[in-house]
Amino acid sequence: MRTSVGGRAAQYVLAYLFMLISLYPIVLMIASSFKTNMQIFENPLSLLPTAFSLDTYRKLWEVVPFADFLMNSIFVSVMSVLLITVFSAMAAFYLARFSYKWTGVLYFFFLLGLMIPIKLGLVPLFILMKNLGLLNSLWSLILIYTASGIPISVFILTGFFRTLPVELEEAARIDGCNHFQVFWRVLLPLIRPALATVVIINFIHAWNDFFFPLIFIQSDALKTIPVGMMVLFGEYETDWSLLFAGLTLSALPMIGVFLMASRQFMEGLTAGAVK
Amino acid sequence: MGVISTFERPTIRPKGRARWLIHLFPIPALIVYGLFVVYPIISAFLYSLYDWDGIKRGVFVGLKNFVTLFTVEPFNEMFWNAFGHNVYYFIIEMIVQNGIAFGLAFLIYRKIRGSSFLKIAYFMPRLLSVIVIGFLWKLILNPNYGALNTLLTKIGLEEWAKPWLGDPDTALLAIILINCWFGIGFAMLIFLAGLQSIPEELIEAARLDGARGISLLWKIILPLCMPSITIMTIFTFIQAFEAFELVYAMQGSMGEPFRSTDTLAVYFYRLAFSSAGGAGDVSVGLGSALAVVLFFIVASVSALSLYLMRKREVQH
Amino acid sequence: MKQFRFHAAASVVLAAAMALAGCSGGGGTEPAKSGGEPAGNASGGQGGGQQVTLSMHSWRVEDTEGYKQIIKAFEADNPNIKIEFKPFKATEYNTILNTALQSDSGPDILQLRPYAPGVSLAEAGYLEPLDGVAGISSFPKDVLAAATGKDGKVYGVPLSLNSTQFYYNKKIFEENGLKEPKSWDELIATSKALKEKGIVPISFGAKEGWLLSLSHGVIAPASYNSDYLDKLQKGESDLKSPEFLGSVQRMQELIPYFPENYVGLELNDMRTLFATGKAAMFINGSFELEGIKKLNPDLQLDFFPMPTDDGKAVITTWVDGSYAVNSKSKHKQEATKFMEFMATKKFGELFANQFKRISAVPGVTTDDPLVNKMAELSQSSSTPYLMVVHFAEGKPTTKQTLENALQGMYLGKMSPEQVVDEVQKSAATWYPPFKK
Repeated sequence: MRTSVGGRAAQYVLAYLFMLISLYPIVLMIASSFKTNMQIFENPLSLLPTAFSLDTYRKLWEVVPFADFLMNSIFVSVMSVLLITVFSAMAAFYLARFSYKWTGVLYFFFLLGLMIPIKLGLVPLFILMKNLGLLNSLWSLILIYTASGIPISVFILTGFFRTLPVELEEAARIDGCNHFQVFWRVLLPLIRPALATVVIINFIHAWNDFFFPLIFIQSDALKTIPVGMMVLFGEYETDWSLLFAGLTLSALPMIGVFLMASRQFMEGLTAGAVK
Repeated sequence: MGVISTFERPTIRPKGRARWLIHLFPIPALIVYGLFVVYPIISAFLYSLYDWDGIKRGVFVGLKNFVTLFTVEPFNEMFWNAFGHNVYYFIIEMIVQNGIAFGLAFLIYRKIRGSSFLKIAYFMPRLLSVIVIGFLWKLILNPNYGALNTLLTKIGLEEWAKPWLGDPDTALLAIILINCWFGIGFAMLIFLAGLQSIPEELIEAARLDGARGISLLWKIILPLCMPSITIMTIFTFIQAFEAFELVYAMQGSMGEPFRSTDTLAVYFYRLAFSSAGGAGDVSVGLGSALAVVLFFIVASVSALSLYLMRKREVQH
Repeated sequence: MKQFRFHAAASVVLAAAMALAGCSGGGGTEPAKSGGEPAGNASGGQGGGQQVTLSMHSWRVEDTEGYKQIIKAFEADNPNIKIEFKPFKATEYNTILNTALQSDSGPDILQLRPYAPGVSLAEAGYLEPLDGVAGISSFPKDVLAAATGKDGKVYGVPLSLNSTQFYYNKKIFEENGLKEPKSWDELIATSKALKEKGIVPISFGAKEGWLLSLSHGVIAPASYNSDYLDKLQKGESDLKSPEFLGSVQRMQELIPYFPENYVGLELNDMRTLFATGKAAMFINGSFELEGIKKLNPDLQLDFFPMPTDDGKAVITTWVDGSYAVNSKSKHKQEATKFMEFMATKKFGELFANQFKRISAVPGVTTDDPLVNKMAELSQSSSTPYLMVVHFAEGKPTTKQTLENALQGMYLGKMSPEQVVDEVQKSAATWYPPFKK
């Protein structure tokens, strides 16, 4: 397809304009965390703080136990993502590779989860957690995130498994591998991009959710970052530079993880999810 | 389109002594999902059959809550008001988010310099917590010192400056557009996947037949992208009908101003949990009835689109 | 071997999950475990001498530091009781508390919304009657009313009295030769004069509904008196009466004196406008005093009560949250001890000075002249915050209906007549005098 020079230029302008729109608020958030309250009030648009100061971060570190929040968020996100990935990959392998009377029904059963907002079941869920002795425990969050992340992950991984040729497995089997060996040694390495997709999607969800920790976690020492930030908003609602510093610190780890895994992630989405 | 259809693909017949072991594979996922998603939801659905005013369960009343929800003021008014907003949410997201996302995906598909950087940039907003997004955009949209109105004033468009989130004509739209900002990166990647899966030969062949520009896009590329478009449509539909967190973070649970940002999920939250404090204004029964209705709307529309898509695929 | 190990690990997790789920089958008989208790402390509290930890929920995140001080004083006298104060954002407090109460795992001590909403928790059986608590009887009956159930029992120790009034910036008033208005017309004239000088007369915003009913609570008593309130409670008048309609019309009359874009302003914006001297007056509650001062300690702050049509001046008052004991608490005895403490003058003084607010404990004064002035006026010339004290019931509550309708009025979607129609319609569904 050929396009005129003008058309081509317009395409570039559009593509990079949307890049600006996507990034501007994020950069503004980071820049504002280095400004003073007065600078934010008088010049909310500027991306360059007039004086670069880390005082706000020092103060933030003093007023909230940010290190605790961070550790809790990491623990919850990593554990949930691990469980989701392992459980969903096993289920997807079964659904994609074996055909029984109930396979279709089972697949549909998992897909239903995509359509249900789990918040609808908050009260029964709370009673269940209480009976399991998991109130005010990070495990309540891990189990909820794992359960609610399974549908989309099974969906993505099943799709991906189906794109892999059966011949590979047949060959492995002829070499004497059993199901578990086929799954673990032959297939898992092949679906790495799809796994990256599943990891990122679920990591984003577990890292950013504020609703469940709000309800299930009561002790300060167990709060995750988003809930910790909500407390910060309540107590320092007019100290904008402090709030921006908090927002920045809460977003940075996620951005870091994403940048590290982004190549695999994009590959996973574009190669597997909707082929 | 392996994701949706194709149970017809060649599958493996398990052999050998340990054949039953294969059935253990889906068990862990099934148990966790069953226990922490399906069981609470089914319990919540059962609540809809009880007279449950306040926070103590009363007697079994059958479908009375459903009748109340659709026939008694102000419950029915609030339902249709919120329902309309969900439909609006879906339409705007389809046009703005998915429209722009498809355009950007097409640009990247046609090879643009810096595309791997652009892909990351578009996806970036998706990484932020709703808490962060709500706070950030509330500051940007603040009527008196927010960045947007400041910008409009600076470039001489002062009369465009508005109390965006306080005006019922713009509040919901502003929230939906923020949601689009948030979701464009993901939609773009899904569309890109669709575009990249089109075999080159097909496009070449069409071009030899004389298809150019718009007609090539319209007659060849779009139809071939239908699977990814359908999937994104379903995702968008589910998302629009379950819209809660962003609305809640920016406007609270009352759908303010003047119920102009109320959605079904926010309405559910208001019915199931108190907004005045205490138990007087809570109705778990009504809230659960609303949840059941919401579920059937989402499930039936999604299932129908999947069915239609699969049917079309079979015809091809 | 890798796969085997992995498989084994998975089954251990599952077995554990199933075992846990199994244990819960018998539920109900085992005592409710306090959700607030930190792990490891669960066994405490059977014997008298043992250390007991009580959890205490509140919606006052802003007050965390102050409560720590007050609790310290209590713990010094009661070395075997420890109290963990856990505040939640006001907007999420109701959800968190209700979810916990519904599964019998609420905190030992909880802050109770005043009047109907809080009392409804007692009716559902979640609260312990406190009539026997020493010191309860020293509170006046109308103060206890905020936490008295329909059965006549008291379920909460009142914490503070709230008052709402017009705050004003003394410096701006003096510079422009203005005085506290003594009538509605003077209020309008004052606002007009300020507007002509380019100063925003009243810092006001319509984005948050609760502030609209709060402001209405201040402005409304100007157009009705206690006669009307009596008639209302006897069902002889209603909310479509000229008095009530007049109050809504006055809310509308003030529009020219609000800041630009006021429909989009929130409490934060309003407070900032007022504290930074950009606006001259600010309608809000006694609980805002601390926040305004924090934002600008040098502000020359004062307030005036609302001038009424019959020549008086009133401030609007109600009892703010009381503290209550969870009827499912394992440590009721210890929690009651804290209730006794909250009814003492010592607590009242600590509270009043810590938060610069009016304590509900009778006879307590503070070191802040403005708070003392509010406290005096609440005794001598006050009127109840109608929507909170009498109209906080219904689904949605009549108070919320008013808030939504006022928002509609400010957005030009409803007339004052339509506003009172809506409000009356809501009240008619439940308000006993209207149902006669």
